[in-house]
Amino acid sequence: MELRVTESSETELSIEIAGEDHTFMNVLKGALLESDDVTAATYDMNPEQSGGQTDPILTIKTEPGVDPLDALEEGAITVREKTTAFRDAFEAAA
Amino acid sequence: MATDYDVEFVEREDREARFLVRGVTPAFANGIRRAMVADVPTMAVDTVRFIENSSVMFDEQIALRLGLVPLTTPPEGEFVEDDTVTLSIDVQGPATAYSGDLVSSDDLVQPADENVPIIQLKDDQRLEAEADAIMNHGKNHAKHQGGVAVGYRHLQRVEVVGDLDEFEEQESQIVRGVVEDDGELVPTSEFDHDLANRYPGKEVRLEDVPEAFVFHVETDGSFTVDELVTRAADSIIDRATELEDAVQL
Repeated sequence: MELRVTESSETELSIEIAGEDHTFMNVLKGALLESDDVTAATYDMNPEQSGGQTDPILTIKTEPGVDPLDALEEGAITVREKTTAFRDAFEAAA
Repeated sequence: MATDYDVEFVEREDREARFLVRGVTPAFANGIRRAMVADVPTMAVDTVRFIENSSVMFDEQIALRLGLVPLTTPPEGEFVEDDTVTLSIDVQGPATAYSGDLVSSDDLVQPADENVPIIQLKDDQRLEAEADAIMNHGKNHAKHQGGVAVGYRHLQRVEVVGDLDEFEEQESQIVRGVVEDDGELVPTSEFDHDLANRYPGKEVRLEDVPEAFVFHVETDGSFTVDELVTRAADSIIDRATELEDAVQL
């Protein structure tokens, strides 16, 4: 997973996440939006046929005083914890 | 963040299952579904060396058919990417070559079904070939899809709101999936998908239960449903961990 920051300021961050698709990006976006520190989160992705930028670009806006990179890390942790919880619940039922 | 999930099986077999998950967001449910379809690697034939092919089909057509035969996928860790397993086939006509005729070099990688026809051979026709199977993702080729029919629906709650007028004719009310009736989970196939059969003479109302999804998962035989779901979850966990590490640097 290669990251490339395309735009960055105090409370806003655009970052390219190479090699990912909707499967992970949409889950990550959903997790980011659940956080109170994040005011906006979205990702943009173009189809293969477009010939241009095809890797997803994630954009995060945060509340003042919150580093968007920290919010992203927090988001990744949330996704990991949620998925682990799901896996455990599934195995418990299985 | 402590999230509480609740998983409950409605129907369960090795290759096909229906289970209810409570507490998931639509984004998460779709992530799991997509991971099951595209991100869980399976074994499939990728390269074929023909020794003799006097059948009516071209080598390429036979190779495609061999590729589409589902193979059992070894447990995680047994196999690394780029490893190959060779399967050989030798059938002399008149006969039909079936997937069961494939002889594998590895016990862990076998045709999941014995009865997939590959080609019908007439008198004096013969098929002899060696096929190399590799591990890859559904993203790259549909033959590597472990989950063949994976989807989810909202759980629906049925509520009886009253009786129909005595001489009113009841209209059928078709619903598919699983309904919740007083906390009891009922697959709609039990009443022919028609609420009028289950609640004759009653007026009923249906509503979606928020954050409750009924998954229907069917695998091609590469592995069991349990394995598919846990491996899909693992693939998302791996990516989240990777991102976590990448951000920290």
